[in-house]
Amino acid sequence: MLGKLDWSAIPFDQPIPLIAGAVVLVGILAVLIWVVVKGHLPYLWHEWITSVDHKRIGVMYILLASVMLLRGGSDAIMMRIQQAVAYQSQGYLPPEHYNQIFSAHGTIMIFFVAMPFVIGLMNLVVPLQLGVRDVAFPTLNSVGFWLTATGALLVNLSLVIGEFARTGWLAFPPLSELSYSPGVGVDYYAWSLQISGVGTLVAGINLVTTVLKLRTKGMNYLRMPMFCWTTLASNLLIVAAFPILTATLAMLLLDRYLGFHFFTNEAGGNVMMFMNLIWAWGHPEVYILVLPAFGIFSEVVSTFSGKALFGYRSMVLATMAICIISFMVWLHHFFTMGAGPDVNAIFGIASMIIAIPTGVKIYNWLFTMYGGRIRFETPMLWSIGFMVTFIVGGLTGVLLAVPPADFMLHNSMFLVAHFHNVIIGGVLFGAFAGFEYWFPKAFGFRLDERWGKLAFWFTFLGFFITFVPLYIAGMLGMTRRMQHYDVAAWRPWMIVAAVGMAVLTIGVICQIMQIVVSIRNREALRDRTGDPWDGRSLEWATSSPPPVFNFAFDPDVRGEDAYWDLKAHAKRQSLEHEPPEYHDIEMPRNSPTGFVCAFFATIMGFALIWHIWWMVILGGLGAWATFVVFAWRDHDEYVIPADEVARIDRVSIEDRRNLVSMAGSV
Amino acid sequence: MSDQTHMPAGHDLAPGDEEQHSVGARILGYVVGVVLALLLTATSFFIAGTDLVWQPSIPVALIVLAIAQMGVHLVFFLHITTGPDNTNNVLALAFGLLVVFLVVGGTVWIMGHLNANMPPMDQIMQMRR
Repeated sequence: MLGKLDWSAIPFDQPIPLIAGAVVLVGILAVLIWVVVKGHLPYLWHEWITSVDHKRIGVMYILLASVMLLRGGSDAIMMRIQQAVAYQSQGYLPPEHYNQIFSAHGTIMIFFVAMPFVIGLMNLVVPLQLGVRDVAFPTLNSVGFWLTATGALLVNLSLVIGEFARTGWLAFPPLSELSYSPGVGVDYYAWSLQISGVGTLVAGINLVTTVLKLRTKGMNYLRMPMFCWTTLASNLLIVAAFPILTATLAMLLLDRYLGFHFFTNEAGGNVMMFMNLIWAWGHPEVYILVLPAFGIFSEVVSTFSGKALFGYRSMVLATMAICIISFMVWLHHFFTMGAGPDVNAIFGIASMIIAIPTGVKIYNWLFTMYGGRIRFETPMLWSIGFMVTFIVGGLTGVLLAVPPADFMLHNSMFLVAHFHNVIIGGVLFGAFAGFEYWFPKAFGFRLDERWGKLAFWFTFLGFFITFVPLYIAGMLGMTRRMQHYDVAAWRPWMIVAAVGMAVLTIGVICQIMQIVVSIRNREALRDRTGDPWDGRSLEWATSSPPPVFNFAFDPDVRGEDAYWDLKAHAKRQSLEHEPPEYHDIEMPRNSPTGFVCAFFATIMGFALIWHIWWMVILGGLGAWATFVVFAWRDHDEYVIPADEVARIDRVSIEDRRNLVSMAGSV
Repeated sequence: MSDQTHMPAGHDLAPGDEEQHSVGARILGYVVGVVLALLLTATSFFIAGTDLVWQPSIPVALIVLAIAQMGVHLVFFLHITTGPDNTNNVLALAFGLLVVFLVVGGTVWIMGHLNANMPPMDQIMQMRR
């Protein structure tokens, strides 16, 4: 009746996951009770859960990523403490638990922090930058978000019901095959990635279509803001690469569920094929994450330097070059598997070549700053911090791209330090820069600068205190994923790294404090202009937060830096012109399709993990029925009357006119 | 380059949309596509079993027929044309082909080398003898 599920699935003998699970459960319950008692439930349901507004969905993506960042961060703290104490002892985490923690840390940080964070920012900003009213497929957008949330939920469920994979974040066979991982851990891993992978693919298709098909008047390709270009490249990579991940995991699941032999040791299975396929997805994946971050830095650096982006066209070229070359380097993840000199040399050289377009970008940002009037506000600090950090990470990457060096450093702590260097220094700093930069746009008030700067400095220093020791430990021969060790020389570095982790934690606390303080002072921090940073692209042309229809009129774009152009133009001409004629605007209706679909997907995923077959059928039928109901809907749009549009638009124009006249009198 | 070729964004068509043709013309297009596809399929089955042609040419002929089949599908069912409104679709197809080529070709190459260099343990033992 319940498949493999029984009371032994709940780890009563392990206090750490049980207490953690209980705390989270109490937290969720408290929030739920507060929501219900205060009567916020209808608001949440109508305005957020069923929303198909790209801005709301973007915010929910970022919220999901932030919560998961805390979970993944807790895993990181536990690992650093374990390695600091586990010299010639077992530490405080038993091996099977430690293995689950590092697997969960990697899985969560990549799939449920980095991915939703960048997808959230793209969702929030790209339609605004393109000057359009929504993404190409609004309801699909909501489905994509909720399926991602399903994946995150399943991963976290494994904390209290059953176990998570002990295989590392990519679940390499034969360890992840049934004979070596008989538990449900790998199944949790694989099914949550399969379900959230569908969500990611859907988001990718949606954003590619949006950029290609929905641009406002005059917004041709070479006038798009840089962030739209990197979004396009990143989502093309999603569309091209994620099917590989889905197919590979599907083969692994066939091995585990139906006794196939794709990746087993026996019966002609080929373990090396798994490495090959998973990295054919895995390397484009890192560019999927970092390209949007590059776009964010381009926007931030040009805004806070008060200059147009240096070398816009070379930046576009570099982005598209990375998009293609990222599919030619995946073997560098397994140089040591024995493909031989020809193959290793070619892929090593390709890996070094991909550093060239990235270098072009760094120089472009530097030249954008050169001669600019730079304002060192929080988003700019994150960007400069990124440049410093990312160059270090990029150079160690070029080092690892040399096959003979890689043979020495493969799977060492040096590698761990390298990829954290590029992912934290690149993607996470980018996500934070974007968060600080676009928060006023999303919510209508700025974030507190003092806490923001504190958060930056603690994170920046904490990062180096944590990961420089790991580079050194790697040079001293320490391999990754060690539950305990006996080499005295590594010990001091592990302790320094743990101290660095504490500093990083202070950074995260500052980040939380920044949000709390800003919400409290929101009246003082209110942004009435819609343009708090003196921005250059169209998202700043509308009010903050933007109305549901984004723009009362389709903006007319005449060059790069559309809004900057508009402002310069307005200064030369009089602001007064005839009152425009407003029109009715049709907007997509909210729809619970995404939420209901994800609800059934959760049931189906859980049932698949525990082999509860009747429930699998139930969940599958439910999801299919939801789809059918959606497909047969009669009306999916509602009309905002012209009067209402006029009222909303006039308020925002009036606000701005007052500000302009105030600025004029100063 | 941008100002001369200025065309309002959003003007180009979604895949499968064709504005100027009537329903009859579109149905005719699909019928021609189906007939061609069936013809190519039938030819493949015929060629595979026949002894009317030089035997070593059969695999080559099958490959040619398969590529022709793909072409028919692209033109008649997926409406990939050379028209200016179809640039996106053609580019997307080219990108897809490039990625498939890179991944499949790279995999074949890598796995071939791995098979040659890293045989299973019992084969290595045999080589030593």
